[in-house]
Amino acid sequence: MLKASALYMVIVITLVIGVICSALIVAAYLYKSQYQAKFRTDQLRNNLSSGITILIHSKDSIYKDGHTFSLFNDDADSVSLKKTDWGAFDVCAASAFIKRDTLYKVFSLANQIDSVKWGALYLIDEDRPVSVSGNTVIRGNVFIPKAGIRTAYVDNQAYTGDQHIVNGKTFDSERKLPPLSAARLEQLKKQLSVSPPLNNLPAGIDSIARSFLEPTLSYSFGKTAKTISHVSLKGNIILYSDTTLVIDSTARLNNVLVFARGIVIKSGFRGNCQLFATDSISVERDCKFSYPSCFGILRFTTGNTVGLPAKLDIGDRADCEALIFSYQKDDKQLPPVISLGKKVRVLGQVYSMGILNLRAGTTIDGSVFTKRFLYQSEFTRYENYLINVSLNSRALSPYYLSSDLTPVAGRPKKILQWLEAN
Amino acid sequence: MAGSKLRNRHGVRGSTILEVIISMIIIIVVFGIAMMIFTNVNRLSLSAKKLKAQAILQHTLLQAEQAKDHTDQTITVDDMTIKQEITPFENEPGLSVITLTAFDPNHEQVARLKKVIMNHEE
Repeated sequence: MLKASALYMVIVITLVIGVICSALIVAAYLYKSQYQAKFRTDQLRNNLSSGITILIHSKDSIYKDGHTFSLFNDDADSVSLKKTDWGAFDVCAASAFIKRDTLYKVFSLANQIDSVKWGALYLIDEDRPVSVSGNTVIRGNVFIPKAGIRTAYVDNQAYTGDQHIVNGKTFDSERKLPPLSAARLEQLKKQLSVSPPLNNLPAGIDSIARSFLEPTLSYSFGKTAKTISHVSLKGNIILYSDTTLVIDSTARLNNVLVFARGIVIKSGFRGNCQLFATDSISVERDCKFSYPSCFGILRFTTGNTVGLPAKLDIGDRADCEALIFSYQKDDKQLPPVISLGKKVRVLGQVYSMGILNLRAGTTIDGSVFTKRFLYQSEFTRYENYLINVSLNSRALSPYYLSSDLTPVAGRPKKILQWLEAN
Repeated sequence: MAGSKLRNRHGVRGSTILEVIISMIIIIVVFGIAMMIFTNVNRLSLSAKKLKAQAILQHTLLQAEQAKDHTDQTITVDDMTIKQEITPFENEPGLSVITLTAFDPNHEQVARLKKVIMNHEE
């Protein structure tokens, strides 16, 4: 028997309509929540980008300790900005947040090259010429003494390079080197003189990574000679030593700072770090440092003319994408010495406030600023002679950025490296 | 007889008037609720117009950042009017705040976007 049963049919129809309505509500909710998430992300991206622009441009010291503020005094535009000195460069951390959503980026800053001051060679004027011999190549503008540049016959070798000697413009140099940035030197001096409480690397841990959003992790070894080996250190980490610190080839350093009296990098090391020492830095043969690394020997003491000069020694066949510099406050002290071994390749800058000792086959793709060159054969020392070396400022990438420590740093600042992001 | 021919031999039962009335009321209420839900969902969900305005503002911002001079101006993209305002950023002479506001043909604000940009004259 067929029943009419209108109520049953209505219940079925109601259920169907109910299901359709529920689906509609769920779909609308999902769509709206997804759109709101996208809208928030877009807004966070814009705010983060604004924060990055402020950090790149601003010279305000308010960001040194971190500063959280509302960008436009509206809702949902809070940013937290921090700019810290990280060796020869600045490291900036920008984060934008709306409620519990946060976007952050950490990056390092450096300066564009000032093309007016930039050159392959800057040798101060001591009223004597610079001499070239062997297959010496000089490409790019040079700042040399008024006595000029000439070819010479040294160690049974005549000059065999380009007949123009300098492939670029020639300018007269001054009697003093263009100075390094006083502000950056002061900050390096502070870090070299600081003696944090002793804190050894934790035993049994082979990898330590520290975000730049967190406080800096410092390891201080005091007057104990320490060898860093079989460990990977990455990020916001500083190593301090009051004596010699040895870094073995089994250690991996990435963006780490090292401040010590003396630093020895063992043969075969690979990494990216900034090394600052008061007495000496010795990089053994076949090491490879990736951009942007930095080696600096700095002497801020004055008056004491006794003792050994500060020394920075790069071993044979080392490959350094780095800024290599020496600084000495007192001119009366023995001049600091930077020695580059045979077939060393430097991609970057060399700034020597003393003597720069080059061996055969040395290639500097970038620039050299020095007070004096030294070439030492088995029997003789030659001053201001360039023998079988290549100085080529044009081999450097047009996107190369320099530390504001060097005198060739121009404006504006640009992002050197993205370090962290989410 | 015609009446006997119409007699239902299989016993088909009709609904009572009460059943039909209750059913109709329920159907009307359910349809009413469904229509309310549909209208609310439609009203509260973001319109394509707002999405489009956001996309246009992002594109305009990108162009403005690449432009060499930053001035107040009004541009029209499709049926949207985009108003660009440049104001200096607090305590930073080299920085400006760009505010982009999108209006629909009825001059109602659809979307707004603000960002700190670098002055190119620097």
